[in-house]
Amino acid sequence: MELDIKEIQKILPQTYPFLLIDRIVEFEPKKRIVSLKNVSFNEYFFAGHFPGMPVMPGVLIIEAMGQTAIVFFAKSYPAELQSGTLYYLGKVEAKFMQPVFPGDQLKIEVKPLKILAMMGIVEATASVGDKIVAKAELIFAAKGKENK
Amino acid sequence: MSDTKTIESEIKEIIAQIMEVEPEKITPSAKFVEDLGMDSMMALEIVAAIEKKYKITIPEEYLMKLATLGDVVAIAQQFIGKS
Repeated sequence: MELDIKEIQKILPQTYPFLLIDRIVEFEPKKRIVSLKNVSFNEYFFAGHFPGMPVMPGVLIIEAMGQTAIVFFAKSYPAELQSGTLYYLGKVEAKFMQPVFPGDQLKIEVKPLKILAMMGIVEATASVGDKIVAKAELIFAAKGKENK
Repeated sequence: MSDTKTIESEIKEIIAQIMEVEPEKITPSAKFVEDLGMDSMMALEIVAAIEKKYKITIPEEYLMKLATLGDVVAIAQQFIGKS
């Protein structure tokens, strides 16, 4: 199953300039999801990171992984969630192997390690072409708006 | 199958590492939430680490029953025995 940006926007609370995935290209409920992020020189963060040496900040790769995980969670377990659900990260263990430059297309795969009713642990791999650029394990939780 | 003492010390180490507390503070009856400050995401991480170590699956309904090290050891042993 594929999801375009309109579908992604219905799920993610993040908006410009912090919506860091463009498309979902593969999705198997409760098993895995793959998203794409096209990295352009026009990204606002390249202005400062770094002048004359544009490299995508690693934390934003993590954020893109987190957003991919939200889509995975929301589409796999729609009954658990309501509109206005908030998501937050509890812990991240990450490794960055290669820099990401303008023109790269990030492919982010997320798989669940353990999922409970309103939280979970996922493993994420970001690659450009056939090279893995970052790997991470993310622990996150979801909360309804009224009981934050 | 590992004996209770070995499992207890292995699990204590996992919990100490994840919660960043001294292993001595994790006595069999110290309450995770009240005495040691555990939150739900730490609990999830601990359960996942124990599952990985012993290659077992602890169902979600057992999570609320894990209030002390003694509880965790007892439930882990129950599932280790089954696998």
